[in-house]
Amino acid sequence: MAKNTEVLFGLYNDEEVMMRAVKVAKEQHLEIMDVYTPFPVHGLDPILGLEESRLHIAGFVYGMIGTLTAFLGMTWIFTKDWPIVFGGKPYWSVPAFIPITFELTVLFASIGMVVSFYVVCGMGPGVTNAYLDDGITDDKFCIAFNKAEVEVSKVESFLSSTGAAIIKSKTI
Amino acid sequence: MNQYTISGTQRIILLVMIAIGLVSMGLTFIGDDDYHTRFWTNLLHNATFFTGIGLMATFFIAVCITAWAGWSSGFKRVWEAMSAFLGPGLLVLLVIALGTYLHWHHLYHWADESILDPSNPEKFDKILYGKKGFLNKNVYLFGTIIVGLIWYFFRYKLRSLSITEDSDQGHNFSNHRMQRVWAAAFLPIVGFTSAFLIWQWIMSLDSHWYSTMFAWYTGASWFVSMIAFTIILLIYLKGKGYYENITGEHIHDLGKFLFGFSIFWTYLWFSQYMLIWYANVGEETIYFRERHDNYPVLFWGNLIMNFALPFLILMRNDTKRKFGSVSFVATLVIFGHWWDFFQMIKPGALHSAGRHADHFNAGFTLPGFLEIGTAIGFLGFFLYVTFHALSKAALLPKNDPYLEESLHHHV
Repeated sequence: MAKNTEVLFGLYNDEEVMMRAVKVAKEQHLEIMDVYTPFPVHGLDPILGLEESRLHIAGFVYGMIGTLTAFLGMTWIFTKDWPIVFGGKPYWSVPAFIPITFELTVLFASIGMVVSFYVVCGMGPGVTNAYLDDGITDDKFCIAFNKAEVEVSKVESFLSSTGAAIIKSKTI
Repeated sequence: MNQYTISGTQRIILLVMIAIGLVSMGLTFIGDDDYHTRFWTNLLHNATFFTGIGLMATFFIAVCITAWAGWSSGFKRVWEAMSAFLGPGLLVLLVIALGTYLHWHHLYHWADESILDPSNPEKFDKILYGKKGFLNKNVYLFGTIIVGLIWYFFRYKLRSLSITEDSDQGHNFSNHRMQRVWAAAFLPIVGFTSAFLIWQWIMSLDSHWYSTMFAWYTGASWFVSMIAFTIILLIYLKGKGYYENITGEHIHDLGKFLFGFSIFWTYLWFSQYMLIWYANVGEETIYFRERHDNYPVLFWGNLIMNFALPFLILMRNDTKRKFGSVSFVATLVIFGHWWDFFQMIKPGALHSAGRHADHFNAGFTLPGFLEIGTAIGFLGFFLYVTFHALSKAALLPKNDPYLEESLHHHV
């Protein structure tokens, strides 16, 4: 989203009403900029026509990197760098490596996904994000339009006819 | 269509499968050693595997009721139908238990009383002498009978309450409250008694060996197979036009169970394996030494079919939802866990029969045609009982308090 976008948005009190409004908007070919909700609303993604997130593919790649780091790292350490005999086991003791391999897989996948998610969403420590209304982190469901790209009067009548409690405009 | 009926062709197919099983068992019995070890191990293998699936179906009904789970109410009749195999399956196990009691077979080394006589140092077995309070024919037979009756009683109770709920008037949920009481009572009972019978039936085949993980490990095998059977039955029934209300959403959740509990099974497998490997105590490592060295195909095939493939295939979101991929994995996993039971049972029984797997032993180092035939027979038997029970009641439990939630289930 570019800086200084003028956004026209409606706030709904109920997710079901908002979902119906999104369907109406799709029928009227209004271009929705985004929908903001306090919690994940089931079934909203397919109505909005959002593509499936690729975050889990990134997660798989991070996990594989973790697996390889742990397994190859331990292999190198215990066979080449600093071989130690533990309880008469061979240097390259695969069963003993499994728990650590598992842990690093989970660690890399989770941290990698969290960091990717924050970067993609433009979030992070010290970053202040522009937001439309306090209510969308509380109890309001927001459908937002980019004012420059839509017919304002048509969107306003759409918002009021589909039951938006508040219709506002804000530059973020 | 809310009422299932077995069609004529279906009945014929299932009866043919049962006939294949009976012929296979007959052929196994004829061409067997003096103890008929191959015959009895096949019987034990399939009886424990399929009875366990029936038990786990009962267990999961109880879990869902206790946990206020609503997503599964729409198809809980499939689990009820699968739990019907508990009766016939336990009867087959009773035959095996009677065989242990009356020495028809020699599956269990501890059942040989001559090794328990301290005055005969030649044959005296000190370890089994120490275990004789638990591993003896009385505990085995009466344990099977008593615990089997308890399981069947709870299965009967939960099923009949579910059936009477259909004709309930007035929606006061008193019936469901009774189900909650019986379900909650069943959970701790099945937890302890299943471990007891798994130790008796399966683990005591390797009678000198024991593992505290074994009951959980076997129970996880049963559970995964039960989920896999549920998926296949639902997809099959949907293909026949039943259960229009059960959608990819339910299959998705069952797919998650299949994925999650395949990993849980692996976790238990590995926990058992690694502790024994690490501690390196001879009496414990022998179990894996035997399987790893003499049965490598069983040992590695088990891990590939039950962990590697389900893990990699079901990792994605859409493979859990697509009927083709999820039913492929479900089929694979059922075969895989049947294979797992094979590798749990056969090496130990071969040992007590006084033979060793230092060379190829048909029916012991790998499942032969007669093993597959016996499994087909038991599969037909299991499905026949399941479909028969399914046809006895409406497919949708119309007064189940969670039915609406289930029909609108969305993940």
